[in-house]
Amino acid sequence: MRIPILKLGNYLLISIQVELDDQTALLFQEDLLNKIHQEGSQGIVIDLTSVDMIDSYIAKVIGDVVEMSNLMGAKVVLTGIQPAVAITLVEMGVSLNGVQTALDLEQGLEKLQQELEG
Amino acid sequence: MHSSVVDFIYQNKDIYIKKWRSTLDELDLNIYHSSISNEIIEETKAEFIDLVFGTLYTGEGEVAARFRRFADRLIYYHIPLSEFIRSLQLLRRVIMHDLEEQSTKEQYDRYNVDLEDWLDENINKLVDEFSNARENTVNLQNTALKELSAPLIPVFDKICVMPLVGTVDTERAKQIMESLLDGIIQHRAQVVLIDITGVPVVDTMVAHHIIKASQAVQLVGAECILVGIRPEIAQTIVNLGIDLSKIITKSTLQKGVYTALQMTRREIITLDEQRSTEV
Amino acid sequence: MTTQSSVEIGTEWGIVSARQAGRELSKGLGFSSVDQARITTAISELARNIYLYTKNGVIGLEVVNDGHRQGIIITARDQGPGIENLRDVMVDGYSTSGGLGAGLPGVKRLMDEFDIQSNPGEGTLITTTKWLR
Repeated sequence: MRIPILKLGNYLLISIQVELDDQTALLFQEDLLNKIHQEGSQGIVIDLTSVDMIDSYIAKVIGDVVEMSNLMGAKVVLTGIQPAVAITLVEMGVSLNGVQTALDLEQGLEKLQQELEG
Repeated sequence: MHSSVVDFIYQNKDIYIKKWRSTLDELDLNIYHSSISNEIIEETKAEFIDLVFGTLYTGEGEVAARFRRFADRLIYYHIPLSEFIRSLQLLRRVIMHDLEEQSTKEQYDRYNVDLEDWLDENINKLVDEFSNARENTVNLQNTALKELSAPLIPVFDKICVMPLVGTVDTERAKQIMESLLDGIIQHRAQVVLIDITGVPVVDTMVAHHIIKASQAVQLVGAECILVGIRPEIAQTIVNLGIDLSKIITKSTLQKGVYTALQMTRREIITLDEQRSTEV
Repeated sequence: MTTQSSVEIGTEWGIVSARQAGRELSKGLGFSSVDQARITTAISELARNIYLYTKNGVIGLEVVNDGHRQGIIITARDQGPGIENLRDVMVDGYSTSGGLGAGLPGVKRLMDEFDIQSNPGEGTLITTTKWLR
């Protein structure tokens, strides 16, 4: 199963709508990095509104994706992390340090614009 | 089962009610709240006598309901249960004394067992209902406390305040976290100010909960400012070696609101000058 | 009366089906959305441990009632190599797999009760409970 990656100008938009199994998560990591390379994207919004569980493994994959994208010169904002997911992550002791977040897709795009266009 | 002794008590009901009444009068029912009126004390005693002797001739269901009402009454007026249990023990002594005089040794032994059964049953019911009623009260109070615990108040577009009042324990910290995050989503807040002016003690545990809450706030996509840090709180935080450096902190709510406005790229401007030129 | 179900963890898909089963069960019992997330995350961590370290094991889910409240018991049983350093695996950040090392101590924090029994060579049994508040 592949997660669709949408292009919007300089940005890439990803909305994760499926149950994230490990294989899908890894495939997504690969697809996203290729897409950044292809399109020379500067900003990425990953929307997690429909994700109702993130365990430490998936958290690591997401954290890695963010770090790798940053290395390739693209800023990443995670949006729509649900309260229940945030609480679970914090209780597990998983902190997504240095990762930018926003409430929803709209605010995520705003945040990218502010950072990239001043 | 214990019909013989029950008959005996029932026949002599009036005498025992009278005797028991006088022992009840010697009990000190007012040890906790001197504010209870004598009228209420008298009423309670009468109800108790009625209740206990009522078990001799009323049905099981009715008895249970009456014990429940009586337990509620004790809790409502803060009247100690122990005194009533003591009075039942006194009643036993009185009845036993009479039985000893009026019956053969064999009868007496049987009466003794029956009487114990009857009184024990009363004591058990009383204690059961009393602890049930207590538990209900505690549950109600807990619910009430939860309801008033942590409201999230929108003060400007994108800015909310959560005033914390009282002790923050683990259970409450969980509720605070949930209502904080749900409120952020609901109000689309970008900055939330947690005001700890009303939190009496900030120890490592409380600080830990605050740090966790601010991490969770960041995950859902907002920022957290901790305000209301009094001098003594600042001292304890540093003395305990608690690291709050990753959280923005301000001494007062007012300063926090200014910071929150800056963070959302807004400021408050005074209109005085404009107005004075217009006039 | 207890409701029991168990999911074999032999492939990665086992992890997904185990947590789906947990989500359904906890939802049906009336757990709050946060508790549902805690329970599914705990199941995911336990199932992943089985998959990563032993390849073969079972996640069991059971509804319990202690007379006052209902709860859900998760068991993770495997016949793998067992854990030699029980104390180490309960320390935050300890990992032999390159993960975040939040797994077992994380599960313990998410749930209400936690017990682990393991002997080298004899496999591991983890039992953890969440009570309905």
